Order: sequence, then C-alpha cells, then structure tokens
Amino acid sequence: MTERFTGHGAEWRDANLTPTEAKIATSWVELKVDKRSMLTNKDRVEDVRDAMWQLEKDGEIVVHRVLDEHQPVTVKTLYGWDKKIPTQRLWHHKSCGQCGNIPGYPASLLWLMNKMGIEYLDETDQTSCTAWNYHGSGIGNLESLAAVFLRNFHQAYVAAKSQGLPEAYYYPLVHCGTSFGNYKEVRAYLLHSAKLRESVKKILGKLGRLVDGKLLIPEEVVHYSEWLHVMRDRIAAMREIDCSGIRATIHPACHVYKMVPEDAIYDDSILGGNRLAVSTGLMQSLGAQVIDYSTWYDCCGFGFRHIISEREFTRSFAIDRKIRVAVEEARADVMIGHDTGCITTLDKNQWIGKAAGKAVELAVLADCQFAALVCGAHPYKIVQSHWHASPTETLMEKLGIDWEAKKAEFVAYLEQIKTGKQENLYDPRRMITSGPGYIPLKSLS
Amino acid sequence: MSHGPGTRVQTHIGDPVGGEPPLPRAKLEEIFADIQSDLRFDHELNGCLNCGICTATCPAAHYYDFSPREIVQLLWTENLEGIYDAMQEKIWACAQCYTCAARCPFGNSPGGLIMLMRETAIKHQMKSAKDVLRPFSRVMLKLISTGNQLSPDMINKEHFADWGPNISKVEAPLKLLRKAIPMPTLNTTATAWEVNLKTSIELYTIWEMTGVLQQLEGIDENLFDVITDIMDEKREDWKDFLADEQNEQEADT
Repeated sequence: MTERFTGHGAEWRDANLTPTEAKIATSWVELKVDKRSMLTNKDRVEDVRDAMWQLEKDGEIVVHRVLDEHQPVTVKTLYGWDKKIPTQRLWHHKSCGQCGNIPGYPASLLWLMNKMGIEYLDETDQTSCTAWNYHGSGIGNLESLAAVFLRNFHQAYVAAKSQGLPEAYYYPLVHCGTSFGNYKEVRAYLLHSAKLRESVKKILGKLGRLVDGKLLIPEEVVHYSEWLHVMRDRIAAMREIDCSGIRATIHPACHVYKMVPEDAIYDDSILGGNRLAVSTGLMQSLGAQVIDYSTWYDCCGFGFRHIISEREFTRSFAIDRKIRVAVEEARADVMIGHDTGCITTLDKNQWIGKAAGKAVELAVLADCQFAALVCGAHPYKIVQSHWHASPTETLMEKLGIDWEAKKAEFVAYLEQIKTGKQENLYDPRRMITSGPGYIPLKSLS
Repeated sequence: MSHGPGTRVQTHIGDPVGGEPPLPRAKLEEIFADIQSDLRFDHELNGCLNCGICTATCPAAHYYDFSPREIVQLLWTENLEGIYDAMQEKIWACAQCYTCAARCPFGNSPGGLIMLMRETAIKHQMKSAKDVLRPFSRVMLKLISTGNQLSPDMINKEHFADWGPNISKVEAPLKLLRKAIPMPTLNTTATAWEVNLKTSIELYTIWEMTGVLQQLEGIDENLFDVITDIMDEKREDWKDFLADEQNEQEADT
C-alpha cells in the first residue's frame, strides 16, 4: 500500500470505498449546493458597508458614492440586502485576460453601451488587479492587492478631470470576475484592519492617490455582468435575431459568487432565487432557453496556475465536468459565462479532448458577446469570434447568421485597416488621461 | 495505516514524537507563526468537524492527492510537521475556486488558507515554491513589469499547442488583427492594453513598498534582475518626460 501522511495520527484508516459507494457517500453534497446551503451562515455574516459608513463618519475614509447621476438600479443580494448598480457614466476597469485573449468580450460590452447611449471612459491609466498572478503563484500579498485596488479605483474617481469634468463623475465597472471577487475581499479587510489601512495609506500618499488625505473606498464594487443584469430588458428590446431555439447552459464564475457570496445578486424570479441571477436573467430576457445541468456549480478548471503550467488538470476538468456534461446531459448549443478565466478555459480546451477520445464540442461565449450577437453586432468586427477556438460557427448557423459572409467582410476590413481607416467604438484621443500622449481638453475641442 | 519506520513522514520530516526532525522545531514554529500572523488567518479558520464537504466539492481533489479538509485539520490542530509536509507539494494543487469556502458550514476558507501557506512557502524560499513557479516566470515577468498578466503575443501555437489550430480563425499578422479590435486601448501586442507610463511607475512603487520584489528575488534571482532592469529603464523614461514637460513650461513662460 502506498504510504500517505494524513495529519490525523496512526489511528486513521482509509475508508476504501468502491467508486459506487464513494458516489453515494458524497452525492448529498451535490444536492445541497444552491442558495439555501449558503444561507446557513447568514447570522454570522455582517454587511461590511456598515463598517464603511462608520469609518467615513469617523473621518477615516472617503466613500466614492453611487450618485443619482449614475442612474443606479437597486437589486437584492444573497441575504436580501440592497445593492446599487450604476448604469451611466462608467469607467471601464478592463480585464487583462479578456483584452489579451478574448477581445470581443469587452468590445461587445462597449458596443452595447454605445447602442444605449451610455457615457463611459476606456483609458490607459489602469493596471490589472494582479490577483490572477497572486492566486496562481503566491507572489504578492494583502497589502499589494489593497494598494493596487485603491490606486485603480482612485484613478476612476479622478479620471474625468482630464476631460474638464468633476471628480466622482465616472463610477468604476469591473470587467473581470477575479478582480471583482478580489476587490470585494480586499475592501472588507481594509474596512476591518486599521493596520492595513495605515500601511496602504503611506503607499497611496506617496502616489498622490488620497482624497483629502484619506483613503477612497467605493460604495459598491460592481461587476459588468451586474450592469448587464439590470439592463437586460433594455438590451432585449434591441434584439434583432430570434434566439428562442437556442439551448444555453450557464457557467457561474467562482470568483463572482463564491468569493464574498453575500454580495452576489439573487432574484426570486430567476431559477427560484436559488442560483446566481446574472447571465441567466439576461439569457431568459433575450428569449433563449436556459438549460440546467448537474455540474453547474463546478469551477471551470482554470486554476490560475494550472491554466499556464499544469494544463492536464485544466483541460481534464473543463472537458469532463463542464463541456461534456453540457453537451450530453443538457444538449446545449452554447455555454455562457461571465468571467475571463472561465471563457478562456472552456473555449480553448476542447480540441485536445480528441487526443483522449473525448471529442465534445460546444460554442463558448461571454454573456455580453451573445447579447451583442443577437442585437445585430458584427460577429467578427465586434464580437471578434475568430479568437474563439470553440465552434461559434455552429451557433451562428443556428441563429441564422451567415458567418462565412461576415468573415469575408472582416477579411476585407483588414485590408481597409492597412490604409489607416480603422473603425473605433470611441474617440481614441480620450484614452490617455495624463503623461506621454495626453491631449489636453482644449486641443481636443 | 501506522506510521512505522521508513514512512514518508519519517524520511522527510522525522518522527514528531521519538525522532529528531531534520527541520528544527523552531523553524517549524516560525513557519506556522508566519501563516498564523496574517490578519486573514482567523477569518479563514473558525473550526472543523471533519465533515468533508469541502473535499467533496473540490475540483483539485478529483485529480490530485489533495484534500482541503486535510489542510484545515492540519492548521486547526496546529500539526506543524504536517503543515510543513503539505507545503512541499499539496498546497500547489488547489485551483483557488473557493467552492470549499462557499460550502463550509463553519465559514472556513480552505482556499484562503492555502494562499497564506503559499505566501509563506515563498517567504521561506522553499524548493517546492521555486520548482512550481519556474514555468510561471514568463507570466510574472509580464505582470510585474507591465501590470498586465497576459499579453496577446503570449498566446501562440508554440506555447499553447494543446489549444489546437484555432488560436485565431483568421490568418493575419497579430499586429493587424489587434488593430481590428475597435477599442484603441487594445491595439497592442506586448500588453493586453496600452498602459500609461505613469501607471507603471506607480505600480513599481507599490511592488517596492509591499515587499513583492523581495519575494521575487528570493524565488528567482535572474527574473528579479531582468525585472529591475526594465523598471529602471521605465523610470528613466518617466524622468525624461517630466524634464521635457518642465522645459516646455519654462519656454512658454
């Protein structure tokens, strides 16, 4: 017998269950993974925003508020608490994985905003949250994560000044699920630890990133999927393509609803309020069929470190626990996600399945990409589906989109770009707000 | 199973009761103290009845000799030898999905505890950390020097052969395809988006003041040298920009 160390002393014995017995022994867990089980801790969880308002009252911090000008919509979170989702004047906090690898993800979001006349800023003065690296490698620490968080959110607060507009004009909208989870976790620790606040205050002070000598804390940390959720009926009103024949499976992102679960949105009218509401609500509003599947709560297999350097795990998990289940059990046409790592993992790790006799294929898109597609966005110029390894063409055919013609248009557009005629979603001169390349407002006008 | 002579525990750690551990007790205590002193420790660990719901829902437990329940138990019972043993390999199996944390009836976060152990493994320059992070160096170079974790030029068929032939379904030079993204901040190849020079300089200050560069130096000295060279160059560029700006202002007045 292989010797193992369990940490439980010499009296510990292996159960030696057969696979069937093991399945029976643990199946109860799989049946108990919805909202109800997460509610067991309700009495022991506090709303960190209470601590936040108290600290502001005590003169310790400044809160970046969601103002009426941001036209907020109030939603309910896990415990029935209110959360304000700003819908206007948004500062895009981009995702390094989306922008580097699946650029149609943010482009589709901005395209939807343009169609709805949403004012926003996409600028260069931002870093990633650095949490992908932290969770993967352990390089970094709570202090560095907190300083990066506060630096980026301070920039969101002051960015409008470069356009001659006041501070607090824009409100940050976080694109990445990991950034969203990380920022919420870090915000809670900042609100509870005077020591952490003191140490990062020195850093933010050195960077010139304090407001009236105080740390700036956002009233709400808002994920783009939450914006889509509260705008879902307005988005559905723009739909041009019937998607009622589409069977969609949803992959809820771990760092969106398992980290700081009390801040995730639930809605009694969406899957009985037992599952995360974002993405599902949007797909239902668009008219698609949302199909349940048994491994909906599993992660995608991304693993942070594993997707880079231990991909055997990533691809095995992605195929066995997600894609194959969605194809064989739910007979899905598409898997919809709302996070960077999940879309990458689920989309890119299908082809290799052929080598292991697991040839399953399923189109994988972010919720905003699907929404843009059925609202008439160009599948290549906007949705940028050519970066997706999964069979998005099959999905487009089912939606009645002539992808070959669209692809030919895109190839012709590449020739146009060579002549300097590039089409953008916003004025490129707005993207630099300070330093080299900054064009002051007077020059712009 | 009894832990008789010749077990893995004895070979690598020693008998905690009868034998002399190869690692002095004081060192084991120092490692545990580092984990325990993080302000997150008490938040992430509240108690444990060994119910195993964390392991039952753990993706890494499907494929590795890894159990979040075991990690929690080791920390809860302050099993210093076991903690050290887990830090040699097991802690790197965790996928950081926090399914365990969402399910634990005690409100523990085994995933969060793993992060404290990983940070400590790096602080103590453990071989496991160095070995595991070697293939991650390209990512760390990008992240620490630019603030972006991933860049378009890292996604290619050489590095991701298992992703198949469809890394891009349109054959064209990367630079041209990136220009065809209708967000001007994304018309880049070496970073995911164009990063303002001032932003990078501010990020370097954060790395320095939070000890991240020190962590990196302990794990990979060569990578540290490369990154500090890049930082020096960018800081020179920033100084030049500020000097030019000042000259222009003086000329205007």
